[in-house]
Amino acid sequence: MSFGSPYTTLPDFEYHKPTSLEEALGLLKLYGDEAKAMGGGVGLIAFMKERLMSPGHVIDVKEVKEFKVLENTPEKGLSIGAAVTLSELLEGEVLKKDYTVLHEALAKVADPIIRRRATLVGNLCEAIPWVDSPPALISLDATVAIAGPDARRNVPVSGFIRGPVDIDLGPSELVTAVDIPQAKGSQSAFEKFTGGSEFSLASVAVSMSNGGRNRRVKVVYGSVNSTPIRSAEVEEAIKDGITPGSVRKAAAVASENVECVDDVLATAAYRRHLLKVITTKVLRRMMSQ
Amino acid sequence: MREITVTVNGRARKRMIKDNELLLDFLRERLEVRSVKAACWRGECGLCTVMLNRHLVKSCLVLAVEADGGEVKSVEGITDDGELAPIQKAFVSHGAAQCGFCTPAWVLATHELLRANPHPSDADLVEATSGLVCRCGTYNQIREAVAEVSAAPKVRRQSRESLART
Repeated sequence: MSFGSPYTTLPDFEYHKPTSLEEALGLLKLYGDEAKAMGGGVGLIAFMKERLMSPGHVIDVKEVKEFKVLENTPEKGLSIGAAVTLSELLEGEVLKKDYTVLHEALAKVADPIIRRRATLVGNLCEAIPWVDSPPALISLDATVAIAGPDARRNVPVSGFIRGPVDIDLGPSELVTAVDIPQAKGSQSAFEKFTGGSEFSLASVAVSMSNGGRNRRVKVVYGSVNSTPIRSAEVEEAIKDGITPGSVRKAAAVASENVECVDDVLATAAYRRHLLKVITTKVLRRMMSQ
Repeated sequence: MREITVTVNGRARKRMIKDNELLLDFLRERLEVRSVKAACWRGECGLCTVMLNRHLVKSCLVLAVEADGGEVKSVEGITDDGELAPIQKAFVSHGAAQCGFCTPAWVLATHELLRANPHPSDADLVEATSGLVCRCGTYNQIREAVAEVSAAPKVRRQSRESLART
């Protein structure tokens, strides 16, 4: 992230390494706003160097045993604990086969050395507009499992991300896992355009369940606005199947309907063009599968 | 302040540290492991890469306290008898170092790649080292060095360290 920071050191903080959820929640209750949870640290440590965050207490949740869960069951689907790294997810066969859109999104995150440390939950909680996991997760109807001092709750990823670097999480709460409904037999794919930079300028996640004309179709765009955007118009265009004609229609309506912003990375007009390109690319690839 | 013990290149090192100390500073400044380079400080250039508990990490994005009780290996520790590893010899013979600043990280990363995957494809190499930068642009020479080690007979291909493990 290029904020041009002069800092090479971190602000002062006290480090904690709880091994259970109860212990971690206890620390949060004690320190409240002063505390930040750390998974792989690749986001938090960079943010602290920039002085965008200066927590008095860093709570390393990598060793919380409840957060190491990674299981896929026919009834509940895939549950990804908060300490599960992107590498661990990418290495298994399950993600590649049944949750392809997420596999494709994560396989291009940063580089393999970073992916060995970075966690999916950490990636999601950063809620940076150009992060790739949220569109993929939203297309799969994923939910976020949250534990607080008194209660547990679950919220859809789409509602969890409220805005840029703004998530639905209280100071005494922790995300314990991301849960994805079983997607066996579905077809999904992810595409992004970075223009050679490390950031996505536009991304698209498409997820379709089998089931003929009543199939469930979700198309979610990322990196073009402050939060991911689901496009009902594009979903409508491909609901009866992916054909050369429906791909053309989908690309055109994506470019017309999905609201894009101007920012330091790209203009809105350029992003609208990219929507056409990535929509065509992702759907053509799905058509040939 | 707290005391941590980290095994660095096979030797247990005990130091008092502050909780906000980076592993990069701990290695380079406190223990004077000078092959660990400080450049971008944000996990992009990869030149501070070391092995922590058997995986490559960018030490500018790791706290020193996280390495407490663990094992760190830098390029100084890839062989334990003072001999060069095959990939180091190949870097020399192919001129895969120009200014040399990034070389320790590249040697470590390609050594690790060849250990995990003795015959990497070009795509494997590009992917595995996509988090490292060489500003002199010696990428092709590095590619040739890796290809040489990959093509070498099995016994020569393995580093002494990996032979010792088998």
